[in-house]
Amino acid sequence: MEDFERQLRNALARKQEPPTFEAKVYAAVAAQRSGRGIFWRWATEGAAVVVIASGFWMGYQHENQQRAAGEAAKARLEVALRITVTELSKIQKTVRTSTEDE
Amino acid sequence: MIAIRTFFIACIALAPLCAQELKLPANLDRLATKASEVVDVTLDSNLLQLASRFLSDKNPDDAQVKKVISGLKGIYVRSFEFEKTGEYAESDLEPLRTQLHAPAWSRIVGVRSTKSSENSEVFVKTEGGKIGGLAILVTEPKQLTIVSIEGAIDPDQLSELGGHFGIPKIESDPKHKDNGRGKDQ
Repeated sequence: MEDFERQLRNALARKQEPPTFEAKVYAAVAAQRSGRGIFWRWATEGAAVVVIASGFWMGYQHENQQRAAGEAAKARLEVALRITVTELSKIQKTVRTSTEDE
Repeated sequence: MIAIRTFFIACIALAPLCAQELKLPANLDRLATKASEVVDVTLDSNLLQLASRFLSDKNPDDAQVKKVISGLKGIYVRSFEFEKTGEYAESDLEPLRTQLHAPAWSRIVGVRSTKSSENSEVFVKTEGGKIGGLAILVTEPKQLTIVSIEGAIDPDQLSELGGHFGIPKIESDPKHKDNGRGKDQ
């Protein structure tokens, strides 16, 4: 029983912290803060990369769409001019033939 | 208040006369369901500008087309080809013909062939002594073609496009060059 009490007293006795304790605590807090900072820095940089890449991608897509629309408009223009000139040509030929007949 | 209302009603009523732009009638779309082949090209000023950006100045054909379309506000083409005759009536073209009247529009060429039952007409719109629009109306028993070009157009420049840009070449005949235009038969 005495042995148990002695052990208990020893365990609960106030002990002087080691001289490196405070330094260890500060180091641990700093490490924790530094880890959190790295995370946020990486997150911010990652977000910036994503935003810039999205911007480039959207610009590329817009340019592609514009090019497709432009090529389509050019093709339509070609069809329209072909029909117009062909019809004018036919009319011109008919007029010329009838003039010659007269 | 009544005066303001009258003014607005007058503006709305007179707007089509002021604009004088040829509107292709909506009933033409109905013909598309009967046609075996349909060409429907609508190029407003925005699309013409867009197409123009894709025409190279270095390519002579493109440059020529660019020059022709530079003063245009729109090109509208409707062409229908039918399997059999009688799929469209002359009345289908009535809304269009009512717009192609003086003073804005004048018919410069009218060709009627009894042999092939083909009827071709060319109308021009004059604005301040200059051509501000061109309309071509070609009716055949199994085919109907309507072309409307809005804006400053030079028919000579248009003819010069023949043989370029995938457009068939127009046979030129200097002897009859002047007879080809301004003649109403």
